Amino acid sequence: MYSLLNRINTRLHLFMTVPAALLYGIFFIYPLIQGIGISMTDSNGVTEPNFIGLQNFIEFFNDDRAKGALMNTIYFAVGSAPLLNIFGLAYALFLDQNIRGRTFIRTIVYMPAVISPLIMGYIWYFIMQPQRGFLYHVLESMHLGFLNGNWLADSSTALNVIIMVNVWQFVGMTMIIYLAGLQGIPGELYEASKIDGAGYLARLRYVTIPMLYPAIKINVVTNIIGSLAVFEIIMAMTEGGPGYATESMSIFIMRMMYGSFTGYSTAVALIMFVVIVIPVFIFLRATKSKEMEM
Amino acid sequence: MTRFMMYMTFISLLFFGIVGCSEGNSTNSTSDNDSEGGEDVENQEDVSLKLFTGKVETVDLMDELIADFESANPNIQVEQEYANDASNVMKVKFASGDVPDITTVITQDYMDQDRYIDLSDESYWDRILPSIKELNTDIKTGNTFSVATNVTMAGIFYNKEIFAELGLEEAQTWDEFVSNLETIKEEKPDVTPLFLPGKEVWSLGHLVEFMAHGEIKQELGISDSRKAFIENEKEKLGFSDPEGPMAIFAERLMELQDKGLINEDALTASYDNQKDAFVTGNAAMISQGMWVMGELLDIDPEVAGRIGFSPYPPLKEGSKPVVLSAEDSKYAITSASEHPEEAKKFLEFLMKDENVKKYSEAIKSPPSFTDVDADWGPIKDETNAVLESAVNIQFTDWPSGFSGDDNGRMVQELLAGKYDGSDLTEFAQEYAETWNKAWESTQ
Repeated sequence: MYSLLNRINTRLHLFMTVPAALLYGIFFIYPLIQGIGISMTDSNGVTEPNFIGLQNFIEFFNDDRAKGALMNTIYFAVGSAPLLNIFGLAYALFLDQNIRGRTFIRTIVYMPAVISPLIMGYIWYFIMQPQRGFLYHVLESMHLGFLNGNWLADSSTALNVIIMVNVWQFVGMTMIIYLAGLQGIPGELYEASKIDGAGYLARLRYVTIPMLYPAIKINVVTNIIGSLAVFEIIMAMTEGGPGYATESMSIFIMRMMYGSFTGYSTAVALIMFVVIVIPVFIFLRATKSKEMEM
Repeated sequence: MTRFMMYMTFISLLFFGIVGCSEGNSTNSTSDNDSEGGEDVENQEDVSLKLFTGKVETVDLMDELIADFESANPNIQVEQEYANDASNVMKVKFASGDVPDITTVITQDYMDQDRYIDLSDESYWDRILPSIKELNTDIKTGNTFSVATNVTMAGIFYNKEIFAELGLEEAQTWDEFVSNLETIKEEKPDVTPLFLPGKEVWSLGHLVEFMAHGEIKQELGISDSRKAFIENEKEKLGFSDPEGPMAIFAERLMELQDKGLINEDALTASYDNQKDAFVTGNAAMISQGMWVMGELLDIDPEVAGRIGFSPYPPLKEGSKPVVLSAEDSKYAITSASEHPEEAKKFLEFLMKDENVKKYSEAIKSPPSFTDVDADWGPIKDETNAVLESAVNIQFTDWPSGFSGDDNGRMVQELLAGKYDGSDLTEFAQEYAETWNKAWESTQ
């Protein structure tokens, strides 16, 4: 009897994971395995699919539109994720000080993050419309009309504008996580470093940044994943246009999925999964060694 | 021992919870089976039909018609479901087995897969325009899988006051069309000669569908051009031909852009911007279909007296102007329906002359029924004149992987300067490749 009780006791933690494991299996592992299967077929979503091996994956590397979507996604992530972290950290450092109205400023900075990216995209689309948008009239009234342009119609500027809007919207989210991290740093560390003669920059480098590694890790990983999976804000502002100039991987997958290329879109989704996992994995490995040093 | 009891209680709760759920399911299934069994025995039991539509503008109106139908047929309930992206949602419905009885989503692929039932023997065909019946007939089987209550048209809407003031006539050739636009630009610099809502890819796609494809439809006629599109007869379509419809279309559109005859924000302007510009007199011409009429009148009812309607100018020399005259508000009954007779009864109800009249007047679209006299809009007489003078063309039968939206995105690329202005055959080549790839994916 004692042995049975002991066994239940030691196995209980495994038993407790069953509900979570079941949900994970049903909603992640099973669809993933199904997806791998579909990606190796010519499925169009309706008729009986045929097995075609790795042809869809090979097709991806010969498809200019798909490669364009991949490049747009990487460009967006490379532009967005660092800016979100730089500005988020800057805001956090600034608003962690004893300044008047800091709660109000924090609220203002964070507020856009609670609005749906789709709605925010539409708001910025209306703001930036040439000849009838808010920004156009503001610049005209300030005699700065020469700065006006149709940035969302220009293939070379449209994605940059979307990156700026995305950073503006989500910088508050990044800031909050950094602020939480900053408030968890013991004051004694700063006092000790001051006694040792460290200036502001030295304290930032040798105390603040190392102590913020957990927050940096959360922010960088979530920003990379969020940026690589970008969808709504692009749909609202340009719908991936002009043409395919701002089409992201997510949008491409959705359009292929509904355009009779179900097998191909599933293959691209798996490629996207790898594209997201690689930078996240590299970053986690890199920060793990830094945390170990601490 | 206390801990042991706690574990046992937890495991028991979990076990009975699972068993309880499973019993709940089995009870439900039994109840469902009973219900179906009962249905077989008692045919008079209630029947529930599902109507799946992608037409947002008719949802409320359809609810009214459904209420009338249900009061006349108390044993049949009709549940309407609307989806914005109906064609894609329908694909999911077919794939998942959640198939509605009646749908407005009708494509050649689904006809090829026997997804609809044949409506050829229904009684209402004698009352429908022969051209509309032809458009509803599957060219491969000769069966009629859908029925349309209305006719829709698309062409150039123009501001009659501006035309009268500048002494302009409706264009019969491309040169006349450009000349009209140039006159407007010179005489009225604040007015956009032709306003394109380029953010809406469906609207740019219509330029391809009606102007570029219009040349093919005009040359081959309705039946042969439908066959050419459906069976991808490359020689007849001539998409990649340097002197074919796509290359000429690209050249003509670039001419309008280079001469500043379209709005500067043609790539980012929305459908709402286009309607506002037209109603306020800031745009002299727009390319649209009859579906825009109700919305223009909602913005300003007085615009009715200023609206003129003309066909699309021909792109090629020697061709005639074209106007879209196609079936609108189409319905099909799915072959997966368990209640086809009740579904047919509902369609017959929709086809009653008083219901067609009510529907036509509400959506401001002409009926396809010869015995229905509906007062559907303020430009009724003008559109009739255009239908008589211009070549009537139909919607394009797209391969399902290359929609009108995809066409619009290619036009966006064209306007954004992706293709070298001096050699627009690259656009035509790319168009042909994209079309062929999409067509092959569905074979």
